[in-house]
Order: sequence, then structure tokens, then C-alpha cells
Amino acid sequence: MNKQSSTRTSTFIDVKNFSFDYDNNQENPLLKNINFSVEQNETILIIGPSGSGKSTLSLCLNGLYPEAVEGWADGSIYYNGQNIQQFKKGKLNQQIGVVFQEPESQFCMVTVENELAFTMENINIPREEMKEKMIKVLTEVGLEQEISRPIHELSGGQMQRVALAAVLLLEPEVLILDEPTSNLDPVARENFIRLVEKLQQTRDMSILIIEHQLDDWVPLVNRVIALNKNGELIDDGTPQEVFYENYDRLQQEGIVLPKVIHDAMNIHRHERVGVKHRPLTETELVHMISDVYEIENRIANIFHFNQDHPFSRDNEKYNKRLVTIKCSGISFARKKETILHDINLQFEAGEFVAIVGKNGAGKSTLLHVLAGLLQPATGKRLFLGKEYDGWDERELRKNIGFVFQNPEHQFITNTVYDELSFGMKVSGMSETAIKHRVDELLTRFGLMDKRFSNPFSLSGGQKRRLSVATMLHETPHVLLFDEPTFGQDEQTTAELMNMIMDLRRQGTTIVFVTHDMDLVDRYCERVLVLDKGKIIFNGSPQALWKKSVLIHRAHLRLPYRVRIVNKLTQMKKGDLSHVSNH
Amino acid sequence: MLATINPTIKAITVFITGVLLAFLYDPITPLIYLIFTILVTFLFGNISLKRWLMLFTPFVFLSIGFAWMTMLYSSSSYAGGEVVLSFWWFEITRETVMVAISLALRSLCFTALSFMFILTTDSTKFMLSLMQQLRLPPKLTFGILAGYRFLPTFKYELEILRKAHRIRGVTQSKGIKEKIMQVRRYLLPLLANAIRKAERVAVAMESKGFTGSRDRTHYHELRVTKRDWLFLAAFLLVFFGSVLITYQLGYLNIFGRKI
Repeated sequence: MNKQSSTRTSTFIDVKNFSFDYDNNQENPLLKNINFSVEQNETILIIGPSGSGKSTLSLCLNGLYPEAVEGWADGSIYYNGQNIQQFKKGKLNQQIGVVFQEPESQFCMVTVENELAFTMENINIPREEMKEKMIKVLTEVGLEQEISRPIHELSGGQMQRVALAAVLLLEPEVLILDEPTSNLDPVARENFIRLVEKLQQTRDMSILIIEHQLDDWVPLVNRVIALNKNGELIDDGTPQEVFYENYDRLQQEGIVLPKVIHDAMNIHRHERVGVKHRPLTETELVHMISDVYEIENRIANIFHFNQDHPFSRDNEKYNKRLVTIKCSGISFARKKETILHDINLQFEAGEFVAIVGKNGAGKSTLLHVLAGLLQPATGKRLFLGKEYDGWDERELRKNIGFVFQNPEHQFITNTVYDELSFGMKVSGMSETAIKHRVDELLTRFGLMDKRFSNPFSLSGGQKRRLSVATMLHETPHVLLFDEPTFGQDEQTTAELMNMIMDLRRQGTTIVFVTHDMDLVDRYCERVLVLDKGKIIFNGSPQALWKKSVLIHRAHLRLPYRVRIVNKLTQMKKGDLSHVSNH
Repeated sequence: MLATINPTIKAITVFITGVLLAFLYDPITPLIYLIFTILVTFLFGNISLKRWLMLFTPFVFLSIGFAWMTMLYSSSSYAGGEVVLSFWWFEITRETVMVAISLALRSLCFTALSFMFILTTDSTKFMLSLMQQLRLPPKLTFGILAGYRFLPTFKYELEILRKAHRIRGVTQSKGIKEKIMQVRRYLLPLLANAIRKAERVAVAMESKGFTGSRDRTHYHELRVTKRDWLFLAAFLLVFFGSVLITYQLGYLNIFGRKI
């Protein structure tokens, strides 16, 4: 068949001059002339900006594309020396397993048991062997207790582990992870990565990881492949080579690099450090810092380069006397279950407050109560000193904005222009005033050339911008956000944070439900920790990071900056042996 | 007990007896059969009485409604017999009362049979049984099962949409035109999401080696055993038995024709 199969037995996948496009655009296809190969037991990280075709490539590798989408493909992909076009339908999929990004939409059965059985039925595993295999694989991913649970009752992290278990039942030789953790909270994310690390050691398989947030994955991989936004392969090598030798180029291409690499590069630029210091993990970075700087200067030096230094914030500027929302003794119950319990809080104008806590702690419910979307069972809610119930619904909506996790939920008209003018019409603004204000918003949010497009046809970042812009027909007193950065790439998040900082300057109170502690550390001046419906912490992020018991209890993860500082402090105490990787 | 009867056979039983009952216009047969079905449901079904009553009661009122309408507006072909009640321009005869009661009991029979099926059958097993016993293509059965998984998500999403629209200042819609507009506004995001999810699930299923081929093993191997045939036979036997009893009592009425 193919000569390579006999000479290079360890090559699993060989991609040769491969191009692909969804719409038969052969001049400028989505993936252009890709060449690379995957060897046995390699772990490869595929990086690239959104829209560079990373996920598409993974579905081409397991033979689902181009057939499933009637796309166009050129060049060839060999699996074990055989062109994947020649595989019988379904055969290749059994050797190449994929875990996808969205937890809820990769199952077709109701319970964990039946879902796993579905996979085994597909590959004709005899019925008698199924139960045993099922229990074995569930133990492997730590879900043996959940065997008969309905999948939709599981948490996102558990769902991803079910998806992984199903794929492992195929006993694949290659495992593709297509952004498996971007919809998970930090703790679930970390657990998933630890699980993959364990599998890497216990199972014989090559792993291809596609990710936006690289930080925690880097220690696992031995090769990195980078694509640019035109779908060309621009780099292929060890993590050290790719990240350190092509740092500037990757930055220019808009690829978000791990924070460790950024900090290490900053040190390289300012000090004379040999190539022996190319840290990939936080521990390695800490060792680098301690080698380069004198003990006393360590902490000061690392954050001298870091412009995201939290103390550089200019929070004195804001007028913080006006109290926007004040709640006392709020409780809320659904059916017989108490979701919120004796909530007392107060927000001031121009304040940026984060609400954090594990899933099911009542964060979203609290946000809905603050927005006046849910009626609390007991307690008092004041907005600008007046009871919520005393407000006219229309006035309340004008002054309290709410941005949902999925921007699409908020779109109610057919064009971007109508979307922006909708709220103004409701509040009875004049025709000319509306036009003026809409144009202003379109320019400010970079949506001018999209003003006649359907909101649903926008890109992810544009949808997010529009969903915020629709709340700004008048500058609201309070703007509430329900996990707005969840599943979004770094670019969109950065844009969103810029908009928010703008609004703060105008005196809007920002309340944010989030899992991203780096954001909290960098932007928020106050953080509320919810646990089982109660506020268990209310204070500055800096104070929170010191409370390790509380952090553990609420399933939080310290932000990157604090993790590094803590490790440096530990090291300063001479306690080197305790500076662990995790 | 009932839960372990083969779902396909159970469905066939309910269907056949339902069709047969539709021919009988007398009140006695459906009455006997209703009692029989309810007895079977509770003796072998392991169903909570409270839950069953909650589901069943609305249908009682509905069938009384049916009966009332039939009594008032019955066709003259079976409106014979003496007049038992007359007011305004309505004349209610003995025959119409019989037909009306029969209709009510028949509707309740269908309801009881349907609940016996629904409350004792696992939807997943029903689909799998249709695939294994009636040779329905796996593509169809697993497609339906995948769709079934979306129902809870759909409900949740609708709730979120309502709130999101309220935030935008969309107030309670008044009038038919506004109501239609509102449905349209909900439909687009719901459908957009559903289509995207369906595509993703399809890709995920295929990447787990699903090809739609009938050549597959079965984790839940559903067979038709002697017990299943006995179940069907028992239901038919009781049906013809009650027809016989009715005939002997002289009430039997098939399709409006007295026998």
C-alpha cells in the first residue's frame, strides 16, 4: 500500500499537503497545505487564534470531514500508513476518539450507563462484557458512583468525564480533545487536566489537545503545533522552541500564550539570562526568578514587568458615595429548597464587584433577584433608596441592565440597528435622538458596518459586544453580568473588560458572576463569595486570597499572580521541597 | 411486573384493544374493561395512587364533557327510544343517554390504557424495543432518543429567554398580533440553538463509531417471551369475555347497531 507504513512504523498519522474548505473555496481554503505527523504516544498541543480551523482539523483527522459537511479537501491524511479515505465507515472513528467542547451536546442517551452502552454497541462488544468494561472505565475517570444517574443532572466537569469515558471504551490509539475544558469552572478544569495526565501515563495513546487557554496544559505536552488565522501551519516543535523562539511571531498572530511564558520572556528582555531558563510550569518560573534575582527583589521584580499589577488601579477616582442597591435579609426558595439565605449587601456607584462560588451556590439566583427578575421570599430590596416594588417596571429596566451568559438569548429583532434602538423606542425617545444615540453606540462598539446584519449572523465577539450595547440606550445605574466570559476567547474577554472599565468611569455599578479568578484579581475591588446560598466572604480580593480554607470550601482557585507570589514566598522561607507543581 | 413486559407488545396490546373498543357503542363493555384495566394497572404496575389520580382526574371531566355534548347533539340514527328528559328544544332519549355514557367510558378506557403504558414504560427501552422487535432503523431510534434528551434543556432555555426579554423591556404582550410576534421572537433563538446542538450531537455520535448500521450488539437485549404473549392474550380474552357478558345482558351494540 504505502511505503511509509513499513519504514516508519511509529508514525500514526501523516498529514500531507492537506487543505480543506466548507464552501469549496479552493483559492483561499480554511486550512492551507498542512503538513505534520503524529508519532506513537506523543502529546501534541494545537494552538491558533479563533477561526484558524483547529477544530475543523480534528474532525478531518478522524475522517468525519469533509464527508459530513460536503466540504472540499485536497491532499491526504494517512493513518497507520493507510489513506483515511479507504477506511470503512465508522472504522476510523473507533481508533481516533474525540471529546468536544460543549458538555451537553455530545450525548444521545439519558443515563450514564446507557450512553456508555451505546458506544460499546457501536463497536459490537458482546453484551456479557459490557458491564465489566463500563465499571472499569468509570472507575478510571472517577465516576463509578454515577453509573445510573441521568446525564443532564451531572455537573459540566462530570459530563466531560463521561464523554471521555465513552471515548476510552473505543480503546482509541489517538485521543483528540477539542477544547474540552473551556466551558468548565477552574476546579473542574484542573481535575480534568489531571485526569488526562493520568491517562497519558496509564494508557498507550497519542493525545492531540486543541485549546485556547494553554496554561495548565503545557506541562503535559511534548510538541506544539501552531496555526495562524489564515489556516496555515506556522510552527511545529517542542514547547520551548515554539513558545520561546517564535514568541513575537505568535504574539503578532494573535495567539494567546501561557502567562508563565509572558513573564519569563519579560525577564529575558530585561536581564541577561541564558537559554537554560525556558520555564513552562509555574514551578520552573519560580526557580528561574530565584536564580535571576536577589531574594529581596524577587516579588517586586516579577511584577515590575507585569502591567496587570493590581495596585496600579486608579480606583480613587470614582465617586462612591451613591448607594445603588441595598439588600437586607433576602432569602429565596424554589420548591422546598432554600437557595438564598439571609443575604445582606450593598453596592455603590462605580463599584466593580464579583460574585464567586461553586456551581449551585446560588450565584445566578442572587443576580436574578438583584435584577428584579425573581421575587425574594423575605427581605428588603432597595434600588436608589426606593423599594423595588415601588418602581415602574419600565424605569427599573432602564436603570438596571443585565447581560446573559449566552448573548443570543437577548436578541429580539432582525437587525443590529433595530436591536440597539429597541430599548430607546420603548422608553419613548424621539426619532432623531434615537438615530444619534444608535450611531454613537455602533461606532463605540465597532458594529457600524454590521448595522443591517442579523444579530444571529455575527461572530462570537460581536454578539457579546452587541448584547452589552443593547443595555446602554441610557447609561444604567447598575449593570449585572452572568458569566459573560464563559467559553469566550481572550480577545473577546479583553474587549468586554475595556467596555466595563469605561462604564465604571461613568459611575455604573458593575456586578459580575464569574469563575475567572484572574479577572477578579485584576479588575474587581470587592468580591462576594457564596456558599450554599449564604455570603461567606465580603471584602477585597487581596484579603480573600489569604483565606485558604475558605477558598478550598468554595471551590475557588487562586489567581496566577497570587500562585506565583505564594511560591516565591515559600521559597524565601527556604521551603523549596514544598514548592510543588500544582 | 408491568414494567418488565416487552414495551412493543405492551404498545400493540394498548393499540389493538383501543381499536376494538371503538366499535362498541354500549356502556357495559367499556365499563367492564375500564375496571379491568385499572385493576391491572394497580395490581401489577407499582404506581402511586395519588399520582395516577392527578393525571386521570382531568380526563374524567373531559369525558363527562364529551358525554354531555353527545347527549345534546347526537345523530338521529341512534336517537331512538323513549324521551327521558326534555328542555328548551332538546329532547334526550334513552338511547342517546346510553351512547353518551358509552362514549365517556370508552374515552376513560383509552386514557386508562394509555396511562398504563406511559407510567410503566421506560422511554429508552421502548425505543430500543422498537428497534429490536419491529426492526426500526437505529438512525431513527437513536435520533429520537437524542432529541428526547433536549427536552429539559428546552424548558430551561425558554425560561431564560423570558427573563432576557423582560430585561429588554418587552412587557406582557397584549392582543393576538403581539402574541404571535412574541412566539416568533422566542422561536428564532430556540431553533438556532436546537439546530446547532443537533449538528453537534450528530458529529459526537458518529465519532463514537455510530454508523446507523443494524449490525450492532444490544446492552438491553429486549426479547418477546411467553409472558408477553400471555399479557396480550389476557387483554384480548377479557375484551371478548366482556363482549359476551354484554351480549347476554342484551345490551351489546356494535357501531350503533343493536345485537
